[in-house]
Amino acid sequence: MPVSETARSHPSYARPPAPGTSHAPQPANLADILERVLDKGIIIAGDIKVNLLDIELLTIKIRLLVASVDKAQEMGIDWWRNDPMLSSRDQSLAEENKQLRERVAALERGQGSPDTNGNARGNGGDRADSEDGGEEAAQHDAREAREPGGE
Amino acid sequence: MSEQGTSDAGHPAGRGCYVYAVTRGLDDGGRAPVTASGLRGEPVRLVPHAGLQALVSDVDLAEFGEEGMRRNLEDLAWLEEVARTHDAVVASVAERAPTAPLRLGTITYDEAGVRERLAQWHDALVGALDRVEGRAEWSVKAFAPQPGATARTDQPAPSTGGAGAGAAYLTRRRAQIQARHDADRVAAELADRLHASLSGHSVASRRLQPQDPRLSGHPRPMTLNAAYLVDRAAGEDFAALARRLAEEHPEAGLVVAGPWPPYSFAELEES
Repeated sequence: MPVSETARSHPSYARPPAPGTSHAPQPANLADILERVLDKGIIIAGDIKVNLLDIELLTIKIRLLVASVDKAQEMGIDWWRNDPMLSSRDQSLAEENKQLRERVAALERGQGSPDTNGNARGNGGDRADSEDGGEEAAQHDAREAREPGGE
Repeated sequence: MSEQGTSDAGHPAGRGCYVYAVTRGLDDGGRAPVTASGLRGEPVRLVPHAGLQALVSDVDLAEFGEEGMRRNLEDLAWLEEVARTHDAVVASVAERAPTAPLRLGTITYDEAGVRERLAQWHDALVGALDRVEGRAEWSVKAFAPQPGATARTDQPAPSTGGAGAGAAYLTRRRAQIQARHDADRVAAELADRLHASLSGHSVASRRLQPQDPRLSGHPRPMTLNAAYLVDRAAGEDFAALARRLAEEHPEAGLVVAGPWPPYSFAELEES
């Protein structure tokens, strides 16, 4: 990949939209594009299967990049968390997997606040009850999760 | 149908088909039915099957295979480039034909795999195209007032008849919090009203999750992040309505963008 692309990730991410009304020909806000191409659009399983929830950038880093976890939760910034590409069967496993990653990331940053997990779980509802077992299983299953409806 | 639609010969080992969208009715007699460049500059071509056409380009599986994707998706610059290219290809076709965008990263090993999917999902894809034909997506966002703009932070502490500084502070804090809540409520109600007006001029509408200020690049909290499916013929009217609402409610800081391909409305309905 082009090396020059890497250096500009942060500034381009924060590019403000034009003031007032704007129309499509100008470059669209990256957030708008990611929101659509990652969270909307038709899901048809291809031969290449990568569960987006296995991608740390999408499950953790984008969130930490744009906001603290707590802040994101508070503001309802969780479109990558409630990903409709997951069937309800896989939702709790993927959710748990993601929360484990969050916990690891928080610990690595040296600010392992248990509250982070508490909040992150707030809307999860149906997550599995185990917190400390089966991460491997969760990851394995989550990888299958991109198949729509488990057909 | 064209030769390329039935030949897998163009897929040497290590190459796959990245699928951008499904459409129909694009003229495949022309030499370049899709003018936008695909990922890594590869030409975008049509893979036709049973009246549907998939827009695909070749990708290197070292970059777009399961291992490569897992690695590359961790790179925001890579993701941005792929996302923008994906969107540009979809948008170039959505202007000319009914288009059902696919989720980023839909990749098959070869054209046979693409045709298999078109066959498997044929009726649902036809239904999705029917719903978006002749229509485009518009995005409208609204924002809350600047935090602090309405909170009465310098309101003098009311006299509480002998209460100490602590009580006065608490009273003041409570007033600030109340003011903030009032401002949030007013902004939320305005967002609901704006959405109702705009929905009334659209075929369908969806409210998306508000974006974080650092994601949106906008300093104020987002109160409305909505997508509207609008007849192409009515697009200018819709934009004019949005502009009028923006003038009537400058405090909402409306941002209108469109026309987008119908990302938020092209869905496979289970039947």
